[in-house]
Amino acid sequence: MHTPRSTRPSTTVAAPRPETLSRVVTFALLVVLALASALGAAPAVARELPADPLRSVMWKSMAERFLPDGEIVFDERVRVLAPLSAEDQVNVPVTVDATALDDVTEIVAFADLNPIPLVLRARPEGAAPFLGFRLKLQQSSPVHVGVRTGDGTWHVAGVIIDAAGGGCTAPAMAHGTSDWMSTLGETRAQVRRGVDGEARMSLRIRHPMDTGLASGIPVFYLEELTVRDADGETLMALSLYEPVSENPTLTLKPRVGTGSGTLEVSTRDTEGNVFAFPLEVPAAGDS
Amino acid sequence: MRRRVPHTAKRAPGGRFSAGRRRTLALGLGCGCAACGFGGAARARLLDYELAASEIATNSWAVLGATEWFDETNGGNIVNAAFIEVPDGVVVIDTGPSRRYGEAFRALIERTVPGKPILRVYNTHHHPDHFLGNQAFDPATIASSPGVIANIVAEGDAFADNMYRLLGDWMRGTAPVAPTLALESAAEEVGGRGFTLHHLAGHTSADLVVRDEETGVLYAGDLAFLYRAPTTPHADIPVWRDALASLAALDRSTILPGHGPDDRSGESLEQTGDWLDWLDGTLRDAVDEGLTMNEAMLQPIPDRFAALGVARTEFERSVVHLYPALEDALFPRVETIER
Repeated sequence: MHTPRSTRPSTTVAAPRPETLSRVVTFALLVVLALASALGAAPAVARELPADPLRSVMWKSMAERFLPDGEIVFDERVRVLAPLSAEDQVNVPVTVDATALDDVTEIVAFADLNPIPLVLRARPEGAAPFLGFRLKLQQSSPVHVGVRTGDGTWHVAGVIIDAAGGGCTAPAMAHGTSDWMSTLGETRAQVRRGVDGEARMSLRIRHPMDTGLASGIPVFYLEELTVRDADGETLMALSLYEPVSENPTLTLKPRVGTGSGTLEVSTRDTEGNVFAFPLEVPAAGDS
Repeated sequence: MRRRVPHTAKRAPGGRFSAGRRRTLALGLGCGCAACGFGGAARARLLDYELAASEIATNSWAVLGATEWFDETNGGNIVNAAFIEVPDGVVVIDTGPSRRYGEAFRALIERTVPGKPILRVYNTHHHPDHFLGNQAFDPATIASSPGVIANIVAEGDAFADNMYRLLGDWMRGTAPVAPTLALESAAEEVGGRGFTLHHLAGHTSADLVVRDEETGVLYAGDLAFLYRAPTTPHADIPVWRDALASLAALDRSTILPGHGPDDRSGESLEQTGDWLDWLDGTLRDAVDEGLTMNEAMLQPIPDRFAALGVARTEFERSVVHLYPALEDALFPRVETIER
C-alpha cells in the first residue's frame, strides 16, 4: 500500500498550511482507492477463487455469500454423500464427513439453485466434523459444503443432485392435518456407540420448517440447535435455515469420551418456541 | 426360453433396420445438425416400442417389458401388460407408461386378435407405467378398484409430469385418464369369461389382482416382481406380506408379475417376499445403529439378489421411502421441556 507520506512535499521550508495538507492527503487517498479498484480489489483482501468442479453458474456469488474471507480449496477430504437423483424433493439426504480434517471450526451447506440456498451452518466445538441432514430442493442443483479449519481456509466439496423439483414451495405435510400444532417439537432421539466406541446421536423433531414460499403459509422454522455436555460446554451448535426438511432429522457425533453421561439438547424456532431435553449417552461397549 | 410372437412383419418403412441400427440412427440424427431438415420427423417415427406378444396361456398374451429403470432408450417399456381373448372380445390388463405405448399396444392386440372388440381394460394400480396408456382405449371400458381410481385422480398429474422429465418425447401427448368403472365386487363376467377380482394392498394402498377363471392365470400386478427389484414408493411392507400370503394360497396355473417373466412355479411371490424381508430387516438395523440414509444406501446387497435388475437403484430409493417411518417407530420418544 502507498501511504500519503510519499507524496508529501519534503523540501519546502514552510510547512504546508493544514488545509493544503489535508487536501493533499485526500487526493493521495483517492489515487490509492482508484488504483485499488482498477486492480479489482485491494491486495490485502484479494483471494483466488478456484474454478468449481461442478461448474455451478452460481459458484462465484455463493462463495462470496457463504464462504467469506479465507482461502478456498476444493478438498477430497471433505466427503459429501448424496444421491444422484432426489427420490423425494422435500427429503434429500446429505451426509458430510470431514473427519479427515483437523481443527474444523465451521461447516456450511448450500444448494446453489434453491430460492433460499443456505441450508445450515454447524460449529463442531466438541464434536467430530460429521453431520447427517435432509434438505428440500426446488430444482436440480449443485449442493456445496464448505468446511472451515482453524487457519481460516474453506475446504469445499459438493455434488449435483437431479430433482423433479418443487420442494421449497410445497406446503409441509403437517398442513395436511388440523392438529399439527399439538405435536410441534415432539422429539425422538437416541445415542448409539459405533464399533469403534464413537458416540452417534440421531434426533428427529416434529416441525413444519415452513419456507415462507408456499402460498399462504408464513415462514416458520427451527433455527437453532445446541448440544452441550453435562458441564454446559457446547459440543455442537447448529444454525438451521428454511431448506432443512420438515421434521428435521440430524445425525451428529459429539465427543463424549467412553463413559456414560447425559447431553443437554436445546432448540429454538423462529417464533421463539424453545424445546430442550436431556439425552442419555451409553458407555462404550454398552450398545 | 419362451416362444415369442413378434408381429413385426407389416412394419412401416424404416422397419428394414434392426432395432439397434435404428437406435443408432436416431441418436445420430438427434446429435448431428446435418440432418436438421428431417431429423425431427425421422426421430419421432423411430421412437418405436417394438412391442411383442408372448403367449403365456391359451389365447392369453403378455407383453413383457425390460427389467430396468425408466430411461430415454427404453421409453418406459419396463412393465408387463397383458391381453386375453374371451369368447366375445378381448380383456386387457394394464396399459403401459405412455400414450405412444397404449397406441402400439392396442395395434398389437388388433393384429393378434383381429376383429374382436376390447370389452374391458383393468388397471392393477396407480403407478404411471401401468396406466398412462389408458388414452388409447375407450374410457367406458376402463375399470379398477375404487382405491386405485382415487389414487390415479390424486397423483396422476404429478406422475405424468415426472415421466415427461424422465422419458422426454416418448411421452408426447400423454395425459392421465382415470378408469370410469369402480369395481367393488369379487368377480365379474366379461364377454363370456369369468374373472375373479382380488382387492388387495401393500405395494400401494390399492392393488387389484385379476384371475382368469378359465386359464387360471393370475395377473398379479406389482404385488409380484421377478428378477427385478420391487419398488416401494407407496409400499406398506406388512400389508404387502399379507397380500403375498393370500396370493400364494390361490389356485393358479401361472403368475404374470408386474415386472419380469411369467412364473409357473410361484418364484415371483417367494422372491418378492424374500426381498421385502431383507429390506425391512436391513433398514431397521440401520436406523437402530443410527446410520444416516446415505450410509444405509451403502449397505451390501446379498448375493442371492444378484440376478435382480436395478437392485442397487431400488434399494437406494427404498431407503428414502421407508426410513422416515422407521425412525418414527424406532427412535425413542424423549420428553421435551418447553420454555
